[in-house]
Amino acid sequence: MIDFLYGPLITAGLAAGLALVIVVLDAIVNNYGDVKIDINEGQRSYTVRGGANLLGTMAAEGVFVPSACGGRGSCGACKVRVLSDVGPHLPTELPYLSAEEVTQNVRLACQIKLKKDIAIELAEELFSVKKFQSTVSSIKTITHDIKEAVFRLDNPGEIEFMAGQYVQLVVPPYGTFKESVQRAYSMSSKPGDRQAVELLIRLVPGGIATTWVHQFLKEGDRVELVGPFGEFHVRDTTAAMVCVAGGSGMAPFKSMFYDILQNSSYPEKEIWYFFGARSGRDMFYLDELRQLETLLPRFHFVPALSEPSSDDKWTGETGLITDVLERFLKERIGTAKGLEGYLCGSPGMINACTTVMTRNGINLEKIYYDKFA
Amino acid sequence: MKYTQIERAVQERMRPGHITALGLLGDDQRPVADIMQADSEAFSRLGMDFDQVADLLEHLRSAGQDGLGEPITVDNRYLVSTGDARGVLPCPWNDGVHHKNAITVQDQRSGRTIIYSDLSIHLLRVHHFCQGKGSPFRLDPDTLAAIL
Repeated sequence: MIDFLYGPLITAGLAAGLALVIVVLDAIVNNYGDVKIDINEGQRSYTVRGGANLLGTMAAEGVFVPSACGGRGSCGACKVRVLSDVGPHLPTELPYLSAEEVTQNVRLACQIKLKKDIAIELAEELFSVKKFQSTVSSIKTITHDIKEAVFRLDNPGEIEFMAGQYVQLVVPPYGTFKESVQRAYSMSSKPGDRQAVELLIRLVPGGIATTWVHQFLKEGDRVELVGPFGEFHVRDTTAAMVCVAGGSGMAPFKSMFYDILQNSSYPEKEIWYFFGARSGRDMFYLDELRQLETLLPRFHFVPALSEPSSDDKWTGETGLITDVLERFLKERIGTAKGLEGYLCGSPGMINACTTVMTRNGINLEKIYYDKFA
Repeated sequence: MKYTQIERAVQERMRPGHITALGLLGDDQRPVADIMQADSEAFSRLGMDFDQVADLLEHLRSAGQDGLGEPITVDNRYLVSTGDARGVLPCPWNDGVHHKNAITVQDQRSGRTIIYSDLSIHLLRVHHFCQGKGSPFRLDPDTLAAIL
């Protein structure tokens, strides 16, 4: 009567047995035991469970290496130099590495599986990077495609950073996205305001993080931030700052200028700020920065529109920001104390501004920016 | 329908979370080969050539880059914005990697918009793949015909 059940039962039994064998074999073969991560030749050392990737394992120990894709191997940001043998470079790493980096055994931390003890080199600044739990305290629409979001820090409750640095915003799975990703944004808040972080986020069509901020994020939401990162900050010299930005590239400069105002720092530095936008609807913070000119007389704000509409009634500078910059470098900006360039924008904008700056006497090694792309 | 091993691998790499978080297929349930065949037929019907369209998209990208990250009017007709992201994207057919970017072209004459990347241009030119319906980076043949 129940003969018909024997076949399926035997098949199910065999499948269950096979699954058990696979689980046992996996536990034996992939059990790497404890492995030691040595950082900077003994400066720090962690004993961790092997088997996972280096990026995630270090993050669990509180050591955060920049990563934009959350460890999926698609951004190439999580580079570390490995001093011990972890095998040859993987095909998934090579597109992101220069020939020199391959020679120096620079690896992508997300692609290295911890199978044995490993020794790596890390920039010391990364030891001060933390993961912050925060709550969105405000989101303001600044232009048709830029939001200003303020994150109140809950745990830890304060952040220490230099004006110009950036944090990584952890975007949780939402809508149809099943994986968390991270994206880097410069902080626009002042370092003196330690209990909160302000970001300016421009909508990128099809962008995972910016779509989340513009369409899903709301006040009261809990959000994770990782930071601070970056080498972009004001140099303590008497040379004049020549700053250029467009769009959300405003963020690090807002932080720098208001920090300088608050602390009366770098009193001998002249500051020239060139901000480019296409038309009036892309321009923002005009009143605030005009006000800053009155509070900080050595600050000079030069906004420019490349394609002003008749409705804009624009009386300021017009043309591409590189053209305006070149004109001012030739005719208006004094070079007596030397010049430094500070840039925040797309790779194309950085390349174009670097060309103009070097053509007008600013040394390449005195042009500063964080490459986000 | 039977898939070859390569077709299965390509289809898998196009799903969300592999090459991009969104994937390249959108909500299109058809096999990649069927999507490509239908779009190729549409290109023929509309009298378009994959290479010529790819050339035009490259022209708009290059001209858009002159805006230095800000939108710029190109050819007195298109409003082009270019944005760059960190990293590269591999082709699902494993024949190269491409800078991660997004180019938005708004045709001020028709009011229609397309979004594409360096990878999109490669997929169109080399593989004649326009991406699945519902993918934000799909280069829909009818939209291309209206815009270009």
